[in-house]
Amino acid sequence: MWSYIVRRLVQALFILFIITAVCFLLTRLSSDPMAQYATRQNMTAADRMALRARLGLDQPLPVQYVKWLGLALQGNLGESFFSHQKVSLLISQRLPMTLILMTTAEIFIVIISLFLGIVSAIKQYSLTDNLITSFSFIGYSMPIFFIALGLILIFAVKFKLWGLPYFPTGADVWNFKDPLAMVWHLVLPVTCLVAIQVAGYSRFLRSSILEVLGQDYVRTARAKGLMERAVLYKHAMRNAALPFVTILGLDIPFLLGGALVTESVFAWPGMGRLFWEYAQRGDFPVVNGVLLVVSGAVVFFTIVTDVAYTFIDPRIRLS
Amino acid sequence: MKRSQRYFLLASALVVISLLITACGGAVPTAAPAPTEAPAATEAPAPTEAPAATAAPAVTEAPKCPEPVDMSKMTAPASPKSITAAWSQEPDNVVEPFSNMAFALWMNQLTIIGLAKWDDKGNMIPDLAEEVPTVENGGVSADGLTITWHLKKCLYWSDGQPITSVDVKFTWQAIMDPGNAPVSRAGFDKIESIDTPDETTAVIKFKELFPPWYTLFSIWGFGGNPLMPEHILKGHTAIEKDPYIHQPNVGSGPFVITEWVAGDHMTLTANPNYYRGHAKLDQIQIKFVPDPETALAALQAGDVDVAPDFAESDIPTFAALEPAVHLRADPSGDFEHYFFNLGTVAGVDGKGKSDVDGFCPFKDVNVRKAIMLGIDRQTIVDLLLGGKTTVPASLWPNSSWYNTSLTPYPYDPEQAKKLLDDAGYKAAGAGTRTGKCDGKNVKLSFSFETTTKQLRKDIAVEVQKELKDIGIEFKPVHTPAGTFFGSYSEGANLATGKYDMAGYTTGFYPDPWNDNFLCQNVPNKDNPVGTNNYHLCDPVLEKMFVDANASADPAARKVVFDTIQKYMYDNALVVPMYARLNLTGYVDRFDPGPTAGLSGFMWDSASWDVK
Repeated sequence: MWSYIVRRLVQALFILFIITAVCFLLTRLSSDPMAQYATRQNMTAADRMALRARLGLDQPLPVQYVKWLGLALQGNLGESFFSHQKVSLLISQRLPMTLILMTTAEIFIVIISLFLGIVSAIKQYSLTDNLITSFSFIGYSMPIFFIALGLILIFAVKFKLWGLPYFPTGADVWNFKDPLAMVWHLVLPVTCLVAIQVAGYSRFLRSSILEVLGQDYVRTARAKGLMERAVLYKHAMRNAALPFVTILGLDIPFLLGGALVTESVFAWPGMGRLFWEYAQRGDFPVVNGVLLVVSGAVVFFTIVTDVAYTFIDPRIRLS
Repeated sequence: MKRSQRYFLLASALVVISLLITACGGAVPTAAPAPTEAPAATEAPAPTEAPAATAAPAVTEAPKCPEPVDMSKMTAPASPKSITAAWSQEPDNVVEPFSNMAFALWMNQLTIIGLAKWDDKGNMIPDLAEEVPTVENGGVSADGLTITWHLKKCLYWSDGQPITSVDVKFTWQAIMDPGNAPVSRAGFDKIESIDTPDETTAVIKFKELFPPWYTLFSIWGFGGNPLMPEHILKGHTAIEKDPYIHQPNVGSGPFVITEWVAGDHMTLTANPNYYRGHAKLDQIQIKFVPDPETALAALQAGDVDVAPDFAESDIPTFAALEPAVHLRADPSGDFEHYFFNLGTVAGVDGKGKSDVDGFCPFKDVNVRKAIMLGIDRQTIVDLLLGGKTTVPASLWPNSSWYNTSLTPYPYDPEQAKKLLDDAGYKAAGAGTRTGKCDGKNVKLSFSFETTTKQLRKDIAVEVQKELKDIGIEFKPVHTPAGTFFGSYSEGANLATGKYDMAGYTTGFYPDPWNDNFLCQNVPNKDNPVGTNNYHLCDPVLEKMFVDANASADPAARKVVFDTIQKYMYDNALVVPMYARLNLTGYVDRFDPGPTAGLSGFMWDSASWDVK
C-alpha cells in the first residue's frame, strides 16, 4: 500500500509539471496583460517598455515559465501584475469563502442525489421516477446564470416587492462573522449549485443501483429471504457506491476552485471569481496560482480516491 | 461508528473548519492597515532626474488654523447616514499612477484628492489648490515653463498632519523615483524641479514646454494624480507594493477608507478633516458586484443605492424601472470609432513604416467617405443606444476642444454609391463592388476587427447590412479584448497592422493632445511599442499635432485643434461612431447631485445625500 502511494505521489509530481506547463502556455497565449494599457493615453513608449520589462513579458515564454515554476517550487506563487499583492495572500483571502459555499453545496448535492437516485431506482418507471427524472433534466439543462438570476429575481426582488420574506441579492454588505447572515446568504447560491448538479449525480446513482439490482448476488440475497431494505442498503448500495465515490472524489478538488458563475452572480468573494476577475485582465501569476492549487488538489484527491476504493471494496488491492 | 457516519462527520467537519477559518481570519473584515511608520533613515531613493533635496519650506506667518480632529476619538453616529454602492470591480492599487483602473481613480476622487478637479460644467476648478494657475493670476509664467500652485491654507490629511507644498514635491519625486514603479511617468518626466518656498506654494519648473501641465496633479472622471502624503511614504521604496498604496487609510478627500474586506466590500467614513468639512453622508459602503444583472437586481431590491459603469445596452432596462430606480447618462469624452488601416510598408519619406500594407482601396478618400456616408450612425444610436448619445463629427466630443463648425456626415447611401462609382468600384447587380487599386483588381470586401462586447457585435451586424446595400462586404471579426488590444510582440493584429478596418473606444481628454497619430509611433519591428494603431503616417497631420503642443496658450491650441479636426473630417480618416456614455443607476432615495462626463460621477461626493 505505502509503496503504491509513494509511487503515485512521484507520478503526481510529473503530472503536475505537465499540467502547469500546459496551463501556463494556455493562459499566456490567451491574453496579453499589456492589453490593459492599450488605450491609456498618458503612457509614453518608454513607460510601456519599462512596464513590459518589469512584468517579465520581454522574456521568451520558456524563460517566463521556468522562472515562475522555480518560484512556485519554493512555495512562492509570485505577485499580481496589477495589485502587486502576493498570490498566496489573494488565494488565502478567497479560499475559506469558496470552501464554505462549495462544501455546503456538495453536502446537499450528495444527500439529495442519494435520496433521489435511490428512490428513482427502486421505483423505476413509476410516476415518482418520471417526475424526478423530468425535474432533474430541467435543472441540468438550464444555464447556471439563468437559474442564478432567476432565483435572485424571484426570491430577492419580487418577494420583497410582494411583501413576503425575501433573500438577499448578494449585493448587500453583510458580516461574514454572523452565522445567521452566513446561512441566509448561502441559501440562493447553494440552491443554484444543487439544482444544476443534483441531476448528474442522481441519474448516475440510479443507473448504478439498477445495474447492481440486476446482479445474481442480489437475486440470491432476495432468495435467502432478506428484507428489501437489507438487500438494498447492505448488498446493492455498497457496490453501486463505488462509481459514485469515484465521481465524488474527482469533484472534491473542484470545491477549491469555486463556482465561477455562481460566485459572480451572487457576489460571493470566492476562488472562482478571483480566477475570472484576474483572467480577464491577463494577470497570469494569479491565474496560474489558482490553477496550480486546483490541479494539485485534483491530483491529490485522485490518489485519495484510489486508496479509498480499498476500504469500500475489499476486492480491490493496491499494489 | 459506521463508515457512512464517519463520512458524514468528515463532511460536517469540513464545513465547520471552513467557517472557523473564515471567522478567524480568512476573509475577515480587516481594518485598513495602520499608517506605515516612518522608516528609519534609509537612503532616500535617487530620483531619475535628481530633483533637489526637499528643503524645509520657509515658515511663513502661521495661519490661525482650527485644530484637526482626531478620528480615533470620534464616536460613530448611532444611525449613520449611509449609502451602499455596487462596483463591478475591486480597485487594485488605489493611488494613481500606480493603478490603471477607473475604479482606483474613483477611489481617489472619494478619498485622496489633487490640487484641482473638473466640475459638472466641464470646468477645471481648484480642489486642494486656492486657485487654478493662469497667466492672469501669475500662476503661469510668460514662457509657460513655470507653474505656481498655491494650496489652500489649513489643509489636513485625515490623520491630522498638514497637507503642504512638500506633498506636491514628494508626489513628483515618488513618481520619478526609479525605485518605484508607476504605470506612467508621462508629464512628470518633463519637470525640472519643484520649489517649495512656503507651506502653501509649489513652483514647478518644466524642462520644456508641456501644455497639459494642468493634468499632472489634478483628477478628472477617469484619470489624474492625487497628492501623496510625504509624512507616510517618505523613504519608502517600491511603493507600488506599499500597504498605503493598496489600502490607504489616510486621505485628503471627503471620505477615508476604514474597512476593506478583500474581494467583498469596503467601508468609507466621512473625513472630519476634509477642507470642506464633514460630508453630508456619514458612510459609504462599496460592495464589489461583478455581474451587472445582479447590480441591477440589487438596485431594484434596494440592496444598493447606486451602481456606476452600466453598459449602453442596459438603457432600455432602466426605462422600465422608473420611478424607483433612475439612470444617469452623462455623455463623456470617450467615443467609439471605426478606423481604416492606412499603413504602408514604404512609409512616407522613410518614416512611419508599417510591417504590412493596409487594405488598398482605403487609400482613396472617396472610398473612406463612401463608408462614412453608408453607415446610418444616428439610427444605430437611436435603436441600440436608446437615443441617449450623439454622433460626433470628430474625436473630441463633449469637450471644449470640439470643433463645433463641423457637422457629422449624414447617412446618404445614394451619395456613397456615387462616390464608389466615381472611384471606379462598380457592382454587378447587388453583388460586391470591384475595381482597380494600384493596378490590381480588388473586391470591396474587407474584415472589421473589434472585441467580443455584445453591443459591438450588434452594431457590426447593422453596419454589415448597411454597407452591403452600397456594395461593400464588411466582415466582422470579434476577438477577446485581451487579444485584440495585445501588444506587437504578442502578434496582436491591431498592433502589427494585420487588419483592414477596426473599431474600439478611446478618448483624448481633458487635454486634447495625443501621440496616436504621429509617424514615429507607427508600430513596427523597430518600434514595437508604438501607439499609432491607425498605422497612419500623414506628415501634414503630424505637423499639426506637433504645432498643437508648441504653445501653452489654450486659445492658440484650440485654433490648431480645430484645424486638425477639419483635416481629419475632410479626409475621412476616422469614422466617429458615437460618444460613449457614463451610465450610473441609482435609487430614488439617493441624491447624487449634478454630474458630467468629464467630472465623473464621484467628483462631488461630499454633497451626496439621501432623501
